[in-house]
Amino acid sequence: MSKHFLKSIPEELRVNVKEVVDYITLRLRHYILDYANRNKYVIGLSGGVDSSVTTYLAVKSLGPRNVHVLLLPSNSTPKQDIEDAYEVINFLNIPKENVAYIEIDEIVDEFSNMLGVKDSLGVGNIKARVRMIILHGYAHKVKGLVLGTGDKSEITIGYFTKYGDSGVDVLPIGDLYKTQVRQIAAEVRLPERIYIKPPSPALWQGQTAEGELGIDYLTLDRILYRKMELWMNDEEISKELNIPIATVEKITNMIKNSQHKRLPPEIFKIGFRSHGSDWRYPREWK
Amino acid sequence: MDKINLCLAQISTRLGDVESNAKKHIERINESNADIVCFPELSLTGYMIKDIAFEIYDRCLKAIENIRKNIKKDQLAIIGSVIKNELKTINNGAFVIKGNEILGNVKKFYLPTYGLFEEMRYFTPAFPLKDLKVFEFKGINFGVIICEDAWHYEPVEALVRMGAQVIFCLSSSPIRGVNKAKKGKLLIEDQWEALIKAHSIINGIYFVFVNRVGPEDEEFFWGGSMVSSPRGEIIARCKKYEEDVINITIDVSEVEKSRRFSSFKIHQNSFHEILSKL
Repeated sequence: MSKHFLKSIPEELRVNVKEVVDYITLRLRHYILDYANRNKYVIGLSGGVDSSVTTYLAVKSLGPRNVHVLLLPSNSTPKQDIEDAYEVINFLNIPKENVAYIEIDEIVDEFSNMLGVKDSLGVGNIKARVRMIILHGYAHKVKGLVLGTGDKSEITIGYFTKYGDSGVDVLPIGDLYKTQVRQIAAEVRLPERIYIKPPSPALWQGQTAEGELGIDYLTLDRILYRKMELWMNDEEISKELNIPIATVEKITNMIKNSQHKRLPPEIFKIGFRSHGSDWRYPREWK
Repeated sequence: MDKINLCLAQISTRLGDVESNAKKHIERINESNADIVCFPELSLTGYMIKDIAFEIYDRCLKAIENIRKNIKKDQLAIIGSVIKNELKTINNGAFVIKGNEILGNVKKFYLPTYGLFEEMRYFTPAFPLKDLKVFEFKGINFGVIICEDAWHYEPVEALVRMGAQVIFCLSSSPIRGVNKAKKGKLLIEDQWEALIKAHSIINGIYFVFVNRVGPEDEEFFWGGSMVSSPRGEIIARCKKYEEDVINITIDVSEVEKSRRFSSFKIHQNSFHEILSKL
């Protein structure tokens, strides 16, 4: 199955896994040890491919003892995902004392009742933000950094909750398309189900990313790759991939409409030197 | 004919929405009886377009074609746009359209790349030896420059020595220093007014400054478009912070008259020889 899956990845999306893994782990070590002056990672592990690969990279960069994993299931989390998450934990030899299991339904219900927010998207966003609060609280306790698990496909089309799963310290796989994250999972031999099952944020029951988007991730990534890396326009992409123009345009609109989620909040320029506009210093500022 | 009617179309544009911006251009042109209608810098695209700059030229061309078909025969319009050049790179520029005819385009010489500006990331600068142009319309000679070009002596000076009596300056000047405004006047507004007057006085020309107005991401363009006479008087001024249209008739015989009692008649070219060696 794994071989069959790897073969199905088109050439343009294929990455050199060893190079990419070595590079990300190098960057992670630099970021946490030299820049942030910490030595513990905190990751919300769902049992999906993104958080599993992120956890793998974290373990590879600082060893399993320095990786704290939080399972934060809700009533919409499939049982299978929790089993998958434990399989990854065992596969990566993360010690039991570094694993926390916290059900979030009670907290989510409090918010949802208090606010009168009952629709699945609204409650789903509350779930993502509750998880963010828990992860940062935990990171404070263990003096760690919260590793985000968003990939380039999701980030590009805005398929994430603002200040929820995007509320993290660093996004190690943020420049890898979903297909590439799956390729890494397959090649480093994470349990097969991790990269074969349909990706889902599981913010409500039965939610799958591909069902919501109306397009499978491989097709999405082929579109995004052409748009971002090759500067192709919608018409060219539609013709080359033989995909209806309406589908490509839908993706383009998702990218455009979610730009606000990828940028820091707008600050209206008033003075002579303003954040975001012309006050520009590096993140690593000594 | 010495008199000519000008229209300063101080508009707000939507970033990257060339089609709706073009529609606004056509409306302003059709509403106006002026001989020349001038729009701000990058008026078709918006200013802070960032990477959109690379992808928008074809849409600008279509829009220009659309505007060309909708302009009166005896009318001329100056429209800010991205322009693709023979090197297949892009310029920050403007199209000059007369009646049914595209007379030509101009390109910006000085590309600000400091503070909030990053034009050199996107645009190629114009070459003075190739790109300086003076246009003629209804017996009037004029030149077109773009924003930062007015913060240097040479573009205006060269165009005037080539015969321009009127300089149109298309601009996208963003607001800053609101916190330090004195009696409702911004420092950037004062600076522009000083530049406009100085160019007018030194060169004996009408200087027509058309500034963009409205928000774009963090930035806000303050408007306040204005016209200076050859003697350096501000003879027309648009509102600040909102769209505005001003029509003004200028008499270019004033250009000649102003030069009778001014130092314009003297031009020591050898200064430029020294400058060219520095």
